[in-house]
Amino acid sequence: MQSVGIVGIPPLHIIKKIESSPIYDLDEPLVDQDIENASPFLPRVYCAILRTAVVNSLSLKPATIYIDVGPGKCDCAQHTATILEKILPDSKITRTINQDKTDFGTPLCDCEMPLLKKLTAITSSVQSSKPHKKLPSCVPTAGFWGVPPRDFSILSLFPDTTHIYGWTRCMENKTPDNRMLEEYVNPDIPTVFFAQSFCAKTALARHLADCHPRSLYLDCDVTAGSSAKAKIQAFLELSGVTNALG
Amino acid sequence: MLLADFGTSYCKFLDLNQNTPRLIPTRELTRSSLRVDIATGHNGKRYAEHYVNELTALAKGGEILLHEKSFTLLDCGSRDIKFVRYELGKIKDMGWNAECGASMGFTIELLEKYYNLDFSLLDVPASSFSVTCGVLGMSHIFDSVVNGQSESEAVARFVKGIAVNAYNFAGKPKILHLSGGLCDNPLFVNSFPCRVVSLGRFVLLEGLKSIIQSGIPTPK
Repeated sequence: MQSVGIVGIPPLHIIKKIESSPIYDLDEPLVDQDIENASPFLPRVYCAILRTAVVNSLSLKPATIYIDVGPGKCDCAQHTATILEKILPDSKITRTINQDKTDFGTPLCDCEMPLLKKLTAITSSVQSSKPHKKLPSCVPTAGFWGVPPRDFSILSLFPDTTHIYGWTRCMENKTPDNRMLEEYVNPDIPTVFFAQSFCAKTALARHLADCHPRSLYLDCDVTAGSSAKAKIQAFLELSGVTNALG
Repeated sequence: MLLADFGTSYCKFLDLNQNTPRLIPTRELTRSSLRVDIATGHNGKRYAEHYVNELTALAKGGEILLHEKSFTLLDCGSRDIKFVRYELGKIKDMGWNAECGASMGFTIELLEKYYNLDFSLLDVPASSFSVTCGVLGMSHIFDSVVNGQSESEAVARFVKGIAVNAYNFAGKPKILHLSGGLCDNPLFVNSFPCRVVSLGRFVLLEGLKSIIQSGIPTPK
């Protein structure tokens, strides 16, 4: 069976077509390769997720790559698709524009579970067309707004009662182009507004953080340094989140 | 009970039984046997039973020293710069720059010794260099000296560039509360384009003291 790679979230009709094949989520670090291997093809100052997608693609060489280039992803993905077509002539690069509107719900975003485990489950759920399992929601003590980070280690600093907002919430809902849902926040809980450095979503993250009464704006590139982690830890402590893991 | 702020160039200690802080150059620290009860600073985890994040210690120090609901407190250390901003009694923003703002304090001290300068005698220059980090800023000094500027004026422009960069990093406040060893450097303090209130180099120790007194649990 031929392997399939995905970048971003392809529409549901594509997922139904490919979900029985081995799927590589090329946005995630999958291979033990230096991210600098992407530098001959993408600038160093570029989204670390897409640089990772290029590194994965070069190494795994999926037979087909579905890359979402619509408003549910970004223009950078559009250009990355062009580059992948050039550097992987044996792979079929298929551009998609996911504007699915069917809400699948966000049980993982609102449940009590280690945040790292939640994000892992949400990113995995993208590869399935099935409805989500029902989970009880918890009373939130903190919020994480943003995309799944390139470096998941920052997630271990949050309490298990962290609710997820932003594009990750759109991911679980299977509606990546959903502006209302992406901008939805809970003003009553201290929230970290995260974006990947050099991503267009840094503007929205900072804007929403400015509007939110208890917020921290944070952007990280490839890996989160000690200062980024210290900011999250101090923000949660100083906001009175007593069940953070530190 | 012994509290400590283990900085890159200087370590600050406070024995609660004596209540007078002590300052020791980090390079003179006897590493093997030293233990303290609670610590902050980038080396602190090695010496303490309880470690407190530097931003948390800074914020708690500001709360206890300033008695204000809204303030911006900037700590300029040897290795990094960090700030906390409170609005109406709640933390509103914070930053910690250990990369692009790196080694500013360290570089200022290095230049003072290298050029044998007395910063209390230097005037604040009219213009500054565009300085984003200590290492990159050095090249401006060397270029200016090669082009005929005096060493002291070139260093003063560098120091002002660092102050302006730190001011921008802290969000351009109208009043800036300053913490760290650079509080003792009049050229640096007077180079900020805003009113500066110097709190000295023991703010983080005050934060640790406040944490102990309030009994707030801290991660081990």
